[in-house]
Amino acid sequence: MAVSAAPAVSSSLATRWTEVGGVRVPVELVTPGWPDPHMDLSTYDPEADLMALNMGPQHPSTHGVLRVKVWLDGETVVKAIPYVGYLHRGVEKLCEKLTYVQITPIVDKNDYVSPMMNELAVNMAFEAALGVEPPPRAQVLRTILAEIQRIASHLISVGTWGLDMGGAIGGGATVFLYCMRERELILDLFEELTGGRFHYNTHTVGGNRHDLPAGWDRKAIEVLDRIVARSEEYERFLVDNPICHQRARGIAVIDPLLAMECGASGPILRGSGVDFDLRRDAPYAAYDQVELRVPVRTEGDALARALVRIDELRESARVAKLLLQGVPEGPICALKPVKLPGAVKLQEGEQVYVGIESPRGELGTWLLANTDRKLGPHPYRLKIRPPSLHALSLLPYLCPGHTLSDVVVIIGSLDPILGEVDR
Amino acid sequence: MPVLQPPLPEDVVTWCRHHLGVEDVPLEGPEVPRERLTDFARALKEQHHFWFFVYCAAAHFPAAGELPDRTLVAYRVRRLPHATLGRPTQTFPFRVWVPTGESSPSLAGIWAGADGQEREQSDLVGTVFSGHPDPRRLMMPDDWPGHPLRRDYAIETGHFPWR
Repeated sequence: MAVSAAPAVSSSLATRWTEVGGVRVPVELVTPGWPDPHMDLSTYDPEADLMALNMGPQHPSTHGVLRVKVWLDGETVVKAIPYVGYLHRGVEKLCEKLTYVQITPIVDKNDYVSPMMNELAVNMAFEAALGVEPPPRAQVLRTILAEIQRIASHLISVGTWGLDMGGAIGGGATVFLYCMRERELILDLFEELTGGRFHYNTHTVGGNRHDLPAGWDRKAIEVLDRIVARSEEYERFLVDNPICHQRARGIAVIDPLLAMECGASGPILRGSGVDFDLRRDAPYAAYDQVELRVPVRTEGDALARALVRIDELRESARVAKLLLQGVPEGPICALKPVKLPGAVKLQEGEQVYVGIESPRGELGTWLLANTDRKLGPHPYRLKIRPPSLHALSLLPYLCPGHTLSDVVVIIGSLDPILGEVDR
Repeated sequence: MPVLQPPLPEDVVTWCRHHLGVEDVPLEGPEVPRERLTDFARALKEQHHFWFFVYCAAAHFPAAGELPDRTLVAYRVRRLPHATLGRPTQTFPFRVWVPTGESSPSLAGIWAGADGQEREQSDLVGTVFSGHPDPRRLMMPDDWPGHPLRRDYAIETGHFPWR
């Protein structure tokens, strides 16, 4: 696959590259030392008057119930610790008592901004353990739904980040409301397809449950065209906005090596110059049928991550439109319609891991199926690898040295979904 | 695309056979003795370029027959494609068995992402990672009794809050 690094996007920097561990990364972003996330505050300047401050768990700019404890020297952050777990619902424990068909609607609620991705990730793991291959129509359908869902998710991400950047004063409230307006169109599409606006339960083991209604593809193409046309406007709102530039340019530059070590992927890694996308590099569903252009930026700052998301949004629309024009005919599920919840059985005792590219990065499912027939058709252990938890683990490295107002921008640019972090 | 588990990278499998002295490396990864885990992981990162930390997952197995009460800790790391070579991305899993009451060395010093993941697993499954820089609970409250993802933490019994 001879895909060049970043054809769709031109970075303003004339970047010099270096190679670390087989990965090509921009020289400017590689920093020799990272801040110590477990810093001992007693070693800090004893003359300084440190103040501990709690942000959250109920805070408008923490994107959910995230609590960040920061120690400030004046207005500069010395140390930051994220506390998570306020939304812990024990999804992994619940899965031990549910059958494979019953798990899909439960994991819908993990990443509540892109539920399609959660469903896809667990069902692909079940299919891998079961050895079922979804029919071609279901594969294309899944890819289309995933791409449209990615657009909706990135719209929320860019919009709420606009709010973080200064709300009504900075012009961010405009972007937020426009993004929500566009997302509504996508929710309408999904409602027509699945009956649900938010929690779809449309993927199942072996395929999909809802076939495309008549005329849906035409409507979807119209919506995508409209969103792509308006996405230019969002980009101008961010790029041509001096407040946005002052607040986001050069803020929280992420070393790509640190991001890789932490397991942060998706727009975070691509904003730091690493050309990596599971859709292209380990294709699943119908991604091997399309040539995906992966947007990469080399600045590594908060603005670069937002711009990567806007570029991805356009690319997703292009891919979805391409696939919508040639959906193959045929069945949409490889298995017979499931009447009983326990009808799908995995008894092999197999371990599988399947990772997909969610809007936030690599969303994986590690499944350990039951070896003991007495335990019934439930997973022995199901572990969801949430991209947001790994992104949040970057927070203690990014905050030190920035001011308190930058922390808001940093959290927004990492785009964590706390339902997925806590599970 | 059929959903299949991709084969493990051959160069690492060969190295594993040599390094660990195992005959066969299964798809779910080699079992690494606990005392060699840190060296194994460091070599994986530095010699074989597995920089990307994917996950650390633990599963509890109650005592059965001759086998003691134990925990399986599964790690997976990824090496990223070289964009100019178009090499597909490869992952490599490895596993450690930890008897209950003993500990496994923490890999937080090798991959920064292992820090939070090991904290989560030791909170939920109860595995102890020795040498972890910050062994607080991640998800559950500090005063929560027990570790919810253990198999003996049955939700029908008298555990708080279902008692």
